[in-house]
Amino acid sequence: MRDREKTNAIGRREFVRLAGLASAGVAVTPAGGLEPLLALQQSSAPGPDAGEKELVLRAIDAAKSAGAAYADARITRLTSEFVSTREQQLTGVNRGERYGIGIRALVGGSWGFAATRDLTNDAVTRTAREAVAIGAANDKVNPVKTPLAPVKKVADGRWITPHEVDPFTVSAEQKADLLFKTNASALRVKGVQFVSSSVSSVKESKLLATTDGSLIQQTFLRMLANVDVTAVSGDNSDSQTRNASIPPMGRGWEYVVGLDMPESASRWAEEAVLKLSAPKVEPGLWDLVLHPSHLWLTIHESIGHSTELDRARGYEANYAGTTFVGPPEKALNNLRFGKELMNVNGNRTEPGALATVGWDDEAVPGRSWRIIDKGLFVNYQTTRELVGWISDLTHDRESHGCAYAEGWWAIPFPRMPNVSLMPNSKDVSEEEVIAETKHGIFIEGDGSYSIDQQRYNFQFGGQAFWEIKDGKRFRMLRDVAYQSRTLDFWNSMALVGGQKTYALGGTFSDGKGQPSQSSSVSHGCPVALFRNINVLRTA
Amino acid sequence: MLQQSAGSNQKRHGLAAAEARQLCERVLKFSRAENARVNVSSGITGSTRTAANRVTTSGITDDITVQITSAFGKRAASTDTNRLDDASLERAVRQSEELARISPENPEYLPEFGPQTYTAVDGYYDSTGNLTTESRAQAATLGIKAANAARAVASGYIEVQAGSVAIATSKGLFGHFYRTGTSSTLTVRTSDGLSSGWAGAQAADWKNVDSERIADDAVRKCQEWRGKTALEPGKYLAVLEPVAAGMLIGLLRGAFDARSADEGRSFFSKPGGGNRISEKLFDSRVTLVSDPAEKNAEAAPFNNGGLPIGREVWVQNGELKALAYSRFWAQKQSVAPRSAPNNLKMSGGDASLEEMIKSVNRGILITRFFYIRSTNPRTIAYTGVTRDGTFLIENGRVTRPVNNFRFNQSITEMLSNIQALGRPMRVAGEDGTVGAGLIVPPILVRDFNLTSVSDAV
Repeated sequence: MRDREKTNAIGRREFVRLAGLASAGVAVTPAGGLEPLLALQQSSAPGPDAGEKELVLRAIDAAKSAGAAYADARITRLTSEFVSTREQQLTGVNRGERYGIGIRALVGGSWGFAATRDLTNDAVTRTAREAVAIGAANDKVNPVKTPLAPVKKVADGRWITPHEVDPFTVSAEQKADLLFKTNASALRVKGVQFVSSSVSSVKESKLLATTDGSLIQQTFLRMLANVDVTAVSGDNSDSQTRNASIPPMGRGWEYVVGLDMPESASRWAEEAVLKLSAPKVEPGLWDLVLHPSHLWLTIHESIGHSTELDRARGYEANYAGTTFVGPPEKALNNLRFGKELMNVNGNRTEPGALATVGWDDEAVPGRSWRIIDKGLFVNYQTTRELVGWISDLTHDRESHGCAYAEGWWAIPFPRMPNVSLMPNSKDVSEEEVIAETKHGIFIEGDGSYSIDQQRYNFQFGGQAFWEIKDGKRFRMLRDVAYQSRTLDFWNSMALVGGQKTYALGGTFSDGKGQPSQSSSVSHGCPVALFRNINVLRTA
Repeated sequence: MLQQSAGSNQKRHGLAAAEARQLCERVLKFSRAENARVNVSSGITGSTRTAANRVTTSGITDDITVQITSAFGKRAASTDTNRLDDASLERAVRQSEELARISPENPEYLPEFGPQTYTAVDGYYDSTGNLTTESRAQAATLGIKAANAARAVASGYIEVQAGSVAIATSKGLFGHFYRTGTSSTLTVRTSDGLSSGWAGAQAADWKNVDSERIADDAVRKCQEWRGKTALEPGKYLAVLEPVAAGMLIGLLRGAFDARSADEGRSFFSKPGGGNRISEKLFDSRVTLVSDPAEKNAEAAPFNNGGLPIGREVWVQNGELKALAYSRFWAQKQSVAPRSAPNNLKMSGGDASLEEMIKSVNRGILITRFFYIRSTNPRTIAYTGVTRDGTFLIENGRVTRPVNNFRFNQSITEMLSNIQALGRPMRVAGEDGTVGAGLIVPPILVRDFNLTSVSDAV
């Protein structure tokens, strides 16, 4: 328990640092308090490499001469590093680089896309023509119209993730050292047999040129640390793992250092051991108090994905699915998602969040907008191709800036922005939220997760489950999962914590599309209370 | 980088053996490490995507990835690059060496292999490698036309991969494998969004993908599922169509691991210590085999470290015959190393899906699943939902379409509750991309645990 309090204190310090960058968590308006910060970053962010600039301009020129009505070209250099350990052994050090160009062309109303790793003048020209030929071949078989929403030209856009230490200036040895210290701390706890841990660092340089005249150079940094602690019972008949559920962030190495993983590891270890002997949950109706390290994923699956406009249009029907939030003319300003206390923003602007950008992959500036206002569904997530479909209903003429491709080899398409649940305007603490239930479970960390293809029925596990009895945390429980329907669940939200309980969670690997692409996204939220949710026992 | 293939005038995508060997030699020439390995992957991915009865995106990507692993003593690290000029390759080699030098020793490190003998396998089919954008668009249009004719909406995806993988070490090892793969999947929904049907296929050889059959089946499923009725959750006798069965059986691939079993943290752990090899764990009809030479589902005859992969029997007549051992774990346990399965084939019986349905007094027919996630690694239990065609079977006939369900089911328990197996076939995966070959029969299983209703269509 002592370790836990310390960790909380660190968590809050981290939060204050984040909040200090801008008004994290508060309703960020489209023209909110971020512009001075962005201006500062833009002035110091690197501009385009001269050779790359020539190639992207060559690509869009070639596409245009070959008959494209619109084209964009992206040169991306994705540098990644993965350092992994188990116990006191190194299990892998890998550094990777993928560099190339992707060209997208609109011919008639059909998209063609071609990409190559070959960054020579001839190959780029040939690839641009191939993108046009693919668009033309599809338009011939199946002619369609594809109007694109207007966007302001950005002649020299520059953006870089705010950070203190570039993770690629820190040696693999230093990273492994931090992991070994973390593992050692966990292994000191009696009953713990195994620990695995890793640090992933990503640096993505992206140069975008469009036939609308935009040229934008952006550099993104992303960090992900992971720790799994496993305790095995004396006779090998049972084993339990506590995953640390550390939020990945769009920040530098200073973020990972600031986590103080060696300190927190003893708590994760104690909880792994505790899980072996904890009583199994009694299935039935329970109140749930969900910590941000858990709740971000429920938001992601049930609100983030259900409010994507391409899903409402059926574009993802063959894999990710459609959505119950539709059709737009029936759902917008009409669908009650939750009670008055529920406010949800979509944004590409929240500091430290993984989907935060200067501009999206169609040169649309990062924005913030309301998706759910006082419990009412008011807007979707859009791109230049999609927004026109609902402009008359939302009066939005411009894209929300949700176009994204995972790299040069991939086609940009609608991807989730940061979708965040706003905190209580009153200063409600975690203890005060817990005090509101007599029979509840406090859940920390993300575990198993599954939701249907229209985002109605979901089931979520977690990492640590604490029984709440008469307003106080009482003891650990195990094998907990809750199952609910999206609208039932959000309408049962009875209390949200204040800004001091607000934190970001997120993932490096949100999969969507065919071919499936991975995107990085964050979700901010306060601790929140849900009434009478169906709890299952998973073992 | 295009190369004539034997017995054909068409050019293959990806590096041919000689080209790959030359590239590996260029890389290894730069190496100063005590042990060095090069893994090369090259080729194209082409795709055509439809939705709302139109082609939404279509494209082609070509790439070559070179991974270099360098080691000094027990210090090892790797780098990946797709820049193939000498300066970039040398930089990548130096970087892997620098990373290795500053990495802590890995006590489990083992030196690279010298020359190995691999099964000769050619998994490249020209019918797939030579497929054009126009042919893909035409195949996709069959789905759109069938949906239009039924006043429904088609959303589909056709993917083609063609290329090669190669491996070489500073100790003289070289291996090369050519492969193609294709996956075609189609969802047809009524325009009111109240019904949905799915069909698909996956193959190494495009000739095995019947686009008309896929279009007809998806439309038929969508029509049959129209007017879904309410049915309570519960434990049901269930007919899993091959693609549904495959989504569950495929999950076993990662579970056949000796180390986690020996360490006491797997279903295959023996209480008291060790693992459960040679124990009968499942119904006698369960046999699971992987084989790089499996026709239309060929796989590389070596793993990423160069360990040869041959035919392996994992489960025979319900008995666990083998688990995968890394080289380190094999040495520690004094057994032969064995790579985890790449492709996987489950044996079946002779029953057709229709005959299987006829044998059911009361049960559920499940077309496919979605969003399957682990809930308990000790029992290999998963949750997920049914979609695109769920039906009640009564007295040997499909009597009515019913709502979708969420399931919570242990795969190991399911393999003990088998009532009948049909004819195995290669199946598509959940996301419609080309994956390792998975060949499974339709399965009739008792007590399939459907735990709640999903309103989704």
